[in-house]
Amino acid sequence: MTTSGIKARFLTGLLLAGSITATGSAARAAELNIWVMSTTAQQQQDMKELLRPYLASNPSLRVNVTVLNWESAWSKITAAAASGQGPDILELGTTWVAAISSMNALEPVSQQQQTQMGSAKAFIPAVWGTTHRFDDSTVYAIPWYADARAAFYRTDVFKKAGVNPKEAFTNWTSFKQAMQKINGQVVDGKKMYALGYPGKNDWNVLHNLAPWVWNAGGDFLSADKTHSVINSPEALQAITYYTSFAAEGLVPSSALEKDSTQIEAGFFNGNYAVIFSGSWILKQLTMPKAKGGQMESLAAHNFGIESYPAGLKGNQTFFSGSDLAIMKSSKNKDQAWKLLTYLTSRDAEVTYSKMSAMLPARLDALNDPVLMADPHYADFVAQVKNGRHYPSIPGWGPLESVYLKNIGNMFDIVAGVKGKYSTQAIKQALDTTAAEANDVLDESR
Amino acid sequence: MQFDTFTLRLKKLEVFPYLLLLPAILMMVVVNVTPILQGFYMSLLKLNQYTLSQYLDAPFIGVENYRRILFESHSPIRAGLGFALRNTLLYTLMVSVLAIAIGLGVATLLNRDFPGRNIARTLLLLPWIVPSYVVGTLWGFMWQRDVGIINVVLVDWLHLFDERPFWLLGSNSFWAIVIPTVWRAWPVMMLIFLAALQAIPDDQYEAATLDGVSKWKQFFHITLPLLKPVIVIQFMFQIIDNIYSYNIVSMMFGNGAGHPGEWADLLMPLLTRQSFSYWLFGQGAAVSFIMMVLMLVFVGIWMKSFKRSMTSDD
Repeated sequence: MTTSGIKARFLTGLLLAGSITATGSAARAAELNIWVMSTTAQQQQDMKELLRPYLASNPSLRVNVTVLNWESAWSKITAAAASGQGPDILELGTTWVAAISSMNALEPVSQQQQTQMGSAKAFIPAVWGTTHRFDDSTVYAIPWYADARAAFYRTDVFKKAGVNPKEAFTNWTSFKQAMQKINGQVVDGKKMYALGYPGKNDWNVLHNLAPWVWNAGGDFLSADKTHSVINSPEALQAITYYTSFAAEGLVPSSALEKDSTQIEAGFFNGNYAVIFSGSWILKQLTMPKAKGGQMESLAAHNFGIESYPAGLKGNQTFFSGSDLAIMKSSKNKDQAWKLLTYLTSRDAEVTYSKMSAMLPARLDALNDPVLMADPHYADFVAQVKNGRHYPSIPGWGPLESVYLKNIGNMFDIVAGVKGKYSTQAIKQALDTTAAEANDVLDESR
Repeated sequence: MQFDTFTLRLKKLEVFPYLLLLPAILMMVVVNVTPILQGFYMSLLKLNQYTLSQYLDAPFIGVENYRRILFESHSPIRAGLGFALRNTLLYTLMVSVLAIAIGLGVATLLNRDFPGRNIARTLLLLPWIVPSYVVGTLWGFMWQRDVGIINVVLVDWLHLFDERPFWLLGSNSFWAIVIPTVWRAWPVMMLIFLAALQAIPDDQYEAATLDGVSKWKQFFHITLPLLKPVIVIQFMFQIIDNIYSYNIVSMMFGNGAGHPGEWADLLMPLLTRQSFSYWLFGQGAAVSFIMMVLMLVFVGIWMKSFKRSMTSDD
């Protein structure tokens, strides 16, 4: 008992490096620790606001909120999971639940508790799918919010080029034609590129590619989830189509060295007529410049939202988000569950959605009339039926890292700084990616 | 009786210094030796995502991790290792030589009286004060192809290139990490060389000047030989520092999320990625241990080769 305690501490010390603020104090009955990621502009304050009604009706309870940033959260959470010393409630990115639960760190959500929350039918299906492993029905988390992706386009530029957005986003052929028409349009004295997307120096590399691969009938993992199929003909077709925009000059090659934030800034500044991004941008487009928003920009008054253009095999979009889970090590599981039910309740999810501009994961909150009053928000809600998530497997983390690295490197070819861009070169890059992905999958078995 | 007191005193004499050393030894054991041993033990375990919670109780697999890294070309940890190794060696050598050369050059220039000398020294020291992760982020902006200041200067002002080069993609990304590292490293070299230069007695230069020896010859025949001990030590520190370089690369290419590519990836970012993103902690520990041993061998050879230069009596 003592040895394992010391060991756990060693491990925490080794990996956690400074995030032990919330540990070890769960023993007091009326105190809960929660770790959340920085998703809103003022996460700590927003959490305080979000928890206010609950704390008002539970005056003896104290909730300590620790805000983690997304970049470092993963290592801190794995350290907490491995050492068994962490908070009572944990926010987990949707791709992480299977991994952390496979480390035996999460308290299962019982059937009765699931029924209390409304079970699968109460939540966005793509997000509910992340609360358990694909091959196991034991649920370990409850969906908190969803992150959906769609196309943001400049209505004024489309109009000027005489392109009908509805038609443009119909399928891959019409989308390419529309982009060719729009490329080089001059608006406000500025020559615009048709499309903007980041290349390798970004964490969204795979998320950006996912809908295209899926819509071509491809995938990242085989149906039995044992090996990579990133080099399948379908995936190759999708990736060649996606990268052809950069190769043909419809995406400026300088975009390929930028990250998502810089690409979004490029859209706000009128550098690109179309970008694919998430609902969080809506928050920026409606916030005045003085508060760090883009409300005064031309883009803020001239933008629309459309679904991804349909490929030969579908019209899906990438969904992710966050779930809330209770750690097995929590000494206050009852209280933690009560707080979790509050945070994933309809009202709390609506409030949090207003703060973060993410979609509530709960379907009844998703269609909240106040939220739906914003037509752009409603455009995002319309994506729910097309939502798809990565397979919920414990080894997704390492796999995504392999994809991120290799596909990121592939953009050197697309930018023309590493050999000549061709389908063959892309195929070669994807073969290498698949081989490395399979090695990592084998290794972590 | 008298004999007994003598032995007692002798014993006291023997024990007391060790008692004084004890806190330092304990500190060394806790801070250095224990983590090294623990790291080595980790390298003998199958420590991955599923066994991490067992930590040191994870399955013991002996030298399997070492075998995979060294002899199995299909080991995931080997992917990109060749590039990272090549880059790290070139990067370390280049940064170390440039930082020392620039530091020494500027120190020599500053080692004389001129108005505003102190202000100049302080200003030149500024890059060193900037934390390395800030250097990585800032230079990441400066290297941008379309809006970065570097291309503005090189292409728009100086017309050195017909087309704006990429610095954060392709082989140029090697320079994108070397230059900021040198930029940050030379000022501290300058400071150290300046201190060493001031310790060289003026009369040696005076005698040489009287004999009609040119300034260049004075530099090569007086300054450099007398600075050799400092240069040898600083070169070793630079090598150690740069082989373990992480922050600038990590921040410049997507704040740790992106991949620096085959021309800018270094051993430490690779090792971190393979361990913490691929969750191959056992193999990661094995690579760390190999690196540590190689480093010890290098330091050992270096110290032995330059032992005479490093002793002040020489």
